[in-house]
Amino acid sequence: MAEGPDPVDSMLDLMRRLPPTNVEENVNALIQICPDYADDLLDRATGKDYLACDYNRDGDSYRSPWSNEYDPPIEDGTAPTPKLRKLEIAANEAFDTYRELYYEGGVSSVYLWDLEDGGFAGVVLLKKAMTPTSPDEPSGSWDSIHVFETAERGRQAHYKLTSTVMLELVTKQNNKADETSVLGEPEKRVSEQGWKSSGEITLSGSMTRQTEQDWPVHEPTSHITNTGKMIEEMEMKMRNLLQEVYFGKTRDIVYDLRSVDDLEKARQQRELQKELVGFIKR
Amino acid sequence: MSSEDRVQVAASFILQSPPGEINDVLNDVRVIVDDDAGLEEGILPALREYNIAQFTTVEVPGEHHQTIVSEFARVPGTEEERYLDPRSKTSFVFNHLTLEATDPQSEEPSEAEPQRVALESAALSYLSSHYHDGVATVLAMSTTQFAVQIVSNKYNPSNYWAGRWRSHYEIDLESRTIQGRVLVNVHYYEQGNVQLSTSNDSSISIPAAVSSSSPVSSASKIFALIEAEESRCQTSLNDAYHEMGEKAFKGLRRALPLTRQKIDWDKTMGYKLGAELTASNRAFGAQPR
Repeated sequence: MAEGPDPVDSMLDLMRRLPPTNVEENVNALIQICPDYADDLLDRATGKDYLACDYNRDGDSYRSPWSNEYDPPIEDGTAPTPKLRKLEIAANEAFDTYRELYYEGGVSSVYLWDLEDGGFAGVVLLKKAMTPTSPDEPSGSWDSIHVFETAERGRQAHYKLTSTVMLELVTKQNNKADETSVLGEPEKRVSEQGWKSSGEITLSGSMTRQTEQDWPVHEPTSHITNTGKMIEEMEMKMRNLLQEVYFGKTRDIVYDLRSVDDLEKARQQRELQKELVGFIKR
Repeated sequence: MSSEDRVQVAASFILQSPPGEINDVLNDVRVIVDDDAGLEEGILPALREYNIAQFTTVEVPGEHHQTIVSEFARVPGTEEERYLDPRSKTSFVFNHLTLEATDPQSEEPSEAEPQRVALESAALSYLSSHYHDGVATVLAMSTTQFAVQIVSNKYNPSNYWAGRWRSHYEIDLESRTIQGRVLVNVHYYEQGNVQLSTSNDSSISIPAAVSSSSPVSSASKIFALIEAEESRCQTSLNDAYHEMGEKAFKGLRRALPLTRQKIDWDKTMGYKLGAELTASNRAFGAQPR
């Protein structure tokens, strides 16, 4: 594959197009096609398992941020240095509080590792799934993945944050005609028991944003305070974008496909107006 | 992974292509699979499946309108991919890779033609009343059974969005029922990947007075029923968005904590823990204060 376009670019373009709902299966399928590119894909693409693969996996085992133990257990599994582990423990506690305040449930994990040049990097994972208590209630899931790198410059630290949010919402609808239900005009009303419908609406989305910021560092835990503020700000921005801009846009596009109002009537009205204007001018 | 397996995976990607983006997906898949010959041969069944499932439209040879390539329009008893355009009473061979229609032949209409033509004309007038860029076909399955398909596509790649509305109805004048399915897919991908996918199945009974009236009168009443159901389906989408925005979004992640204030991170950290870390090592802090 030395010539032609970069397969990684093609994979990333594909991930931008295929339904976010199937991202896990699709990325797995892609990794099977090109195992050589798995690491590279993991680095830039998104998905909890994949970042977890990279950052808390050793062989077939995963390290728990709470106990620092690998499951299944392994000897000499990769782990942060003792001083970084201390910070990792504190970060997990802080983001657990963050998770409780914003998500009121779900799971969070923070993994830290040392960088070659002396700084360190980390990933903050947050996951929440909502299972409906009745068939009419919507279900959904939220995954956010925040990868950051930091380098200290005197009393300041420079942070580079890449945040990805993946979201899915599903609503089921069931309707049946009864005495009170009205279908448009009275003459279009169908006879009792003459109509029923059932539907499902799935809204899914993924987005990635980056930011670079400098913050003061007074003590080791300043890094948690600083990344905490950055991640809180970022999640707030992305949540608003998804709800206000992205989801609203998808609804508008439906109205670009089909109009509830009669387009033919509107056309006739415009024609009539034109004629009237012409008539007055004469 | 063998080449056949890779083509199989590629086929699954093709079938998930958003509206109007099958060529983009094909281009990506070509680079990834890296076996043009194998892909070209193995991908055809997936392309055929995609075209039929997605109500792919094609300009009818020698006509000024489009028709929908559908399993219902497939001309039976032939090996080739020959499809009927009932409106012009011609059939043509459809190439699922190039999306071209060739070799037109005229076809003899069935005895259901007067009723079919009435439904078709009602369908076209409904189309111009409610669809911005729609294509509709009406096919006679028997003298009393008809299939209606409607598709409306809008592709706007320069503004990163695309949408497709598909409706399928099976009208049975004998059992006086309309079985319908509406599918809507929207993709918005400006600095993100957001997709809406809806499906709605409906079952509507046709009043006895309607099915026994003249073809023209029954056709327009049948489309009044379809119009009411589609408008209801579209309007109910607003309710669903409201529901999802109000309940589900908040249920997953609040806009702000219950206190309506952002987090005080210094407090959250706990001063004790911070102090302990500072005392044990200064490697990550800049200077001791």
